[in-house]
Amino acid sequence: MVPANRRGFHFDNCKRNELLESKGSITAKFTKTGTTIVGLIYKDGVILGADTRATEGPIVADKNCEKLHRLTENMYCAGAGTAADTEYTTNMIASKLELHRLNTNRQPRVVTAASMLSQHLFQYQGHIGANLILGGYDINGPQLISVMPHGSTDKLPYMTLGSGMLAAMAVFETKWKPNMERDDAIALVTEAVSAGIFNDLGSGSNVDVVVITKDRTDYLRNHSKPNQRVPKQTSYKYPPGSVSVIRKEVRYHSNANQSPAAVVPEVVMSES
Amino acid sequence: MGLKPGEVSTGTTILAGKFKDCIIIGADSRTSMGTYIANRVTDKLTHVVDSIYCCRSGSAADTQAIAAIVKYELDVYATSHNERPTVKVAAKIFKRYLYENKSRLTAGIIVAGWDHQDGFSVYNLPVGGSIHEMNLALGGSGSLFIYGFCEEMYSPEMNREDGLKFIRTALKLAMSSDASSGGMIRTAIIDENGVQRDDVLGSDVKTY
Amino acid sequence: MSITQYNGSAIVAMTGKNCVVIGCDKRLGQQALTVDMNFEKVFRVKDKLYVGLPGLATDVQTLHDRIRYRVNMYDLEEERAIQPDNLAHMISNMLYQKRFGPYFCEPIIAGLTEKDEPYIMGMDLIGCLSSAPDFIVGGTASDNLYGMCEALWEPDLGPDDLFRSASQALLNAVDRDAMSGWGAVVHVITPEKTETYHLQGRQD
Repeated sequence: MVPANRRGFHFDNCKRNELLESKGSITAKFTKTGTTIVGLIYKDGVILGADTRATEGPIVADKNCEKLHRLTENMYCAGAGTAADTEYTTNMIASKLELHRLNTNRQPRVVTAASMLSQHLFQYQGHIGANLILGGYDINGPQLISVMPHGSTDKLPYMTLGSGMLAAMAVFETKWKPNMERDDAIALVTEAVSAGIFNDLGSGSNVDVVVITKDRTDYLRNHSKPNQRVPKQTSYKYPPGSVSVIRKEVRYHSNANQSPAAVVPEVVMSES
Repeated sequence: MGLKPGEVSTGTTILAGKFKDCIIIGADSRTSMGTYIANRVTDKLTHVVDSIYCCRSGSAADTQAIAAIVKYELDVYATSHNERPTVKVAAKIFKRYLYENKSRLTAGIIVAGWDHQDGFSVYNLPVGGSIHEMNLALGGSGSLFIYGFCEEMYSPEMNREDGLKFIRTALKLAMSSDASSGGMIRTAIIDENGVQRDDVLGSDVKTY
Repeated sequence: MSITQYNGSAIVAMTGKNCVVIGCDKRLGQQALTVDMNFEKVFRVKDKLYVGLPGLATDVQTLHDRIRYRVNMYDLEEERAIQPDNLAHMISNMLYQKRFGPYFCEPIIAGLTEKDEPYIMGMDLIGCLSSAPDFIVGGTASDNLYGMCEALWEPDLGPDDLFRSASQALLNAVDRDAMSGWGAVVHVITPEKTETYHLQGRQD
């Protein structure tokens, strides 16, 4: 039995999975955030944007997932790539930053988060598939840093990442300018993510936006919803008796006024 | 170059030369992911310590990580030895990491600068972990296109103006021939008094 | 062929008004050869909390054992009943620990919260959680189930309507999937009781 309290990654199944693969099995696909994520610096701060589609191969696994991860009050991180990796990497860094904040009694800095992220990803040599755009506001003002899976970082005033990065970058390269006003900047981020949503098959659904300024952070979940489903024109309810039941068991819950966990089997044919 | 799949590379031209009263280092500003330009204003001239700089080529992740580690190690060196590190010390520390991890790294680095002991020096550290002290060091994918030009035009007796013009012309030529070099031309002139950095567009440099 | 398709499975969880259902097929195969016709893939964790484990059968059983062990330990250490979201994160952590050598299983959690609100959660084989307001599907028939559920699900269905929608989604989905089928089991979870229905299905 594997001790449950072992820390870090476990590699117990690796040999077995290698064997399965060598016998011709294809190892299963992970959920990817096929994604358009963007970020820009404007007059008073930094804005991150993301679409909300998660894919598993050609299947849309989640129509409204969250790709903007909170690191601290003054920092958010947009994630593309392997969904589990972006989620767990950002969560881990968020908890390290919170401990850092409590230990130092200071607001964590964006470079601190960037170093933690890039050192973690570099250590795993690209095997952790997290493409991140880190945005935040600290004593050095608004900052935007991208972190790639192998651990390289770039510092730029505007950036895009994910499969829809080209579509979004086309918008930024045309319309971005320094010192934009808040509303214009939010509109530009929305337009860039929308370009990804409509022109890249891996991106879709809604636009999430987060605006980080000196003393407040506004998380605008589903800021734009350009892909609302039309209501169903008719109901597809099945009539009673349409399911052929062989056997039915009833288990009453212990908090209800019944004997605890009683299982009452009933033999019924063609019920409900 | 032996990049891992999907890895970001500074597919690069870097250059460092010794001149009469200064050292000039230069680089293009392109970072690519396959055919996509991930960053068109990259700064590949990375400050290490004091008047010592490095020019990075190869994997962006590898060279950034090594530059950060060496920078830290030289800071520790300065405090524990109570003396400023020389360019030679910096280059040898870089070399140690490149050599000991040669199977894992894709990093070609040029270390250049000025120190009290040896004055101006330029060290070339190509992929593999060897170290070469030279007057003029070339690196990155774009350097292949300008060996002839540099051989013909370079002289260590050039003054600052001619040196800068030479470095910029060389970079412009490399950028025009190499698809993975491009963007701006970034230069840094290093002498006893400090560092002067300048960026120009390739189109602003006149050739011949 | 993907290793997740080796044994065949189909699981669906759906939310309704103050109720949830979770159901699975009963087939266990070795590729095209059917080995067991009564292999259930949805397991009771607590009275109002069930987990469905579609995927490679060996990992389904290993994971079920490990989940039961962890939930029992949780009961003893915390002295309170585990809630659906706690269980989801617990399993997600177990899976992500094996990020570089995963179990080939994509767990689905269905249950009622402390306030008897419906809760469903899905995850991929390395523990990436994905929530949905309507339904979660998994297994070799998941593509078919997506189609069925997108058509059949509607908000605020009562337990009976929800049972029929989920059952029809499941039965019709597995009829067009060679790897799953042989009847189905559907659990209808309401605040008072859980009804378990064993359904008649095609035996081919």
